[in-house]
Amino acid sequence: MPRLFPPLLLLAGIAVAAMLLAVAVGSVSIPVAGLWAVVQGDGDQLHRTVVLELRVPRVLAAFATGGLLAVAGALMQVLLRNPLADPYVLGLSGGAAVGALSAMLLGLGAVMVPGSAFAGALVSTVLVFGIAHGTGSWTPTRLLLTGVVVAAGWGAVVTFMLVIGPTERIPGMLYWLMGDLAYARSPWPAMFVLALACLLIMPLGRSLNVLARGPLQAATLGVAVRPLEWSVYVAASVLTAAAVTTAGAIGFVGLIVPHMLRLLIGSDQRLILPASALAGGTLLVLADTLARTLIAPEQLPVGVITALLGVPTFLYLLYRSR
Amino acid sequence: MQGRCAAGLLVCLLGLVSPAVFSGESGPCVVDDAERRVCLQAPARRIVSLSPGATELLFAAGAGEWIEGTVRYSDYPAAAKRIPRVGTHSRFDIEKLLALSPDLVVAWISGNPAEQVERLQALGMTVYYSEPRRFEDVSSTLERLGLLAGTTDVARTAIAEFNAAIDELEARYRDADPVPIFYQIWDDPLMTVNDSHLISQAIELCGGRNVFGAADRLVPRLDRESVLAAAPEAIVAGGMGEDDTGWLEAWERFPGFTAVRRGNLFFVPPSYIQRPTPRVAEGSRILCEHLETARGRR
Repeated sequence: MPRLFPPLLLLAGIAVAAMLLAVAVGSVSIPVAGLWAVVQGDGDQLHRTVVLELRVPRVLAAFATGGLLAVAGALMQVLLRNPLADPYVLGLSGGAAVGALSAMLLGLGAVMVPGSAFAGALVSTVLVFGIAHGTGSWTPTRLLLTGVVVAAGWGAVVTFMLVIGPTERIPGMLYWLMGDLAYARSPWPAMFVLALACLLIMPLGRSLNVLARGPLQAATLGVAVRPLEWSVYVAASVLTAAAVTTAGAIGFVGLIVPHMLRLLIGSDQRLILPASALAGGTLLVLADTLARTLIAPEQLPVGVITALLGVPTFLYLLYRSR
Repeated sequence: MQGRCAAGLLVCLLGLVSPAVFSGESGPCVVDDAERRVCLQAPARRIVSLSPGATELLFAAGAGEWIEGTVRYSDYPAAAKRIPRVGTHSRFDIEKLLALSPDLVVAWISGNPAEQVERLQALGMTVYYSEPRRFEDVSSTLERLGLLAGTTDVARTAIAEFNAAIDELEARYRDADPVPIFYQIWDDPLMTVNDSHLISQAIELCGGRNVFGAADRLVPRLDRESVLAAAPEAIVAGGMGEDDTGWLEAWERFPGFTAVRRGNLFFVPPSYIQRPTPRVAEGSRILCEHLETARGRR
């Protein structure tokens, strides 16, 4: 167990550095002395508002969302034993998108969007669970196929909503679909879910290691496969729902962060899960910092940046691996 | 909580009896297009406008020199191009906006993202929600913005000019023969507007009849076949810019179509008729002349 700590300490250090950088950078340039004054509880009124009310909550929300997505992705990849699995593969983001866009179309106001997205994610999770459970025996392939088809169905509904939506609302809808931290109202729900997940899922690391080798082997080794698989499905769904509720359907973090970590530090789930939380959070914090400063004052959706940063890094690691 | 509600009710009742009570306390007060009461301590001197239309309206109301920030495409009048930008109407940089410390933010209800405008209010900014949809709204928006900026005289002159221009067109074309027209607001997908839109109001003013006026949606999407079936006598289109007539050329493929046979393919610079600002009077005048030309070709 002690050999697990050095990589995690390193990742935690990088995460803290990324968050400090993100709090220091923005369209309002604040000198280090100004930041220090804010930390000490005084300083310029504008600096205080910018740091305490805009940047810090947004950075925390970005970290929590990225961590949630990466852990959910790692869990899905183990559950489905499929390297292409990501948090959205089973249609959860589609359900959330239909919920969020409905709230926008009906003009319910920004307060209703997260709740509506969460309801959509929940409906999708229960739907996929119910149908995949069906009448016959349950397999990951059946779950995957059910999820993919349900996702395609949501996709069609989303397209339909974009077509019938009033033209002036379409930019807002697209930003939600691409994912954007401007939607984050408070970082605390996402932070709470992430902390809870770390406490509850991390002890399962050893069983997940066995499960990743295949259900037969796991059963032989005394793991209760079916309950474990359903717990993983429920956990990944709750994590993903919390993430999309916070900041829309941010793509790519959940797919590549676990893969990058496996290439770098091996595939021990006891290490991969906490490392995913740290690395996913760090990636999203950095991506969001770029999204709000790169072409400021214009703002990019963060999903664009996660892909732009993630693709070359991932391809490089893949090319280098044997 | 109960006390607050009661106090709120009292304020409402006083408001019904005498609006002067509000401007009396310190600064100007108006009711915006979201039916909210917007009050300032003093006339607005640091204004941020979150749409090109609002920028134009502020300039027309005499408050242009106090606009500290605006969004992309705020291109009229020429002075608007020099105002610092805070992003686009669909996503703006809240930090940058905060740094301008505005005393009034003019937001666009249907165009700005609700979550960002709500964030501005949570940060303590005074927001005026704007959504002019008819000629009458252009006048009333000028009046209210003028009141907020303490430039009522300039605003009232602009209103008088605008109303006079509209009244003149109204008088000239009141009894003109109706011309069925198709107004193309976008190409690919082909889009038009229904009678709830400002453009349709301009068409009516000119004695035209919008062939898709009864459509359900404000901005319906169409195929070319349905336009051919509606058999308008004239097609009027904007374009991708102020002098881009490319959209009209696509109709020349149908030489048997009445509007094409008579050469009634007309261009109106889009910002003159698609933005609810005083310039719509000029846009309407251009449109009316085109319709008059179409009448002459019968």
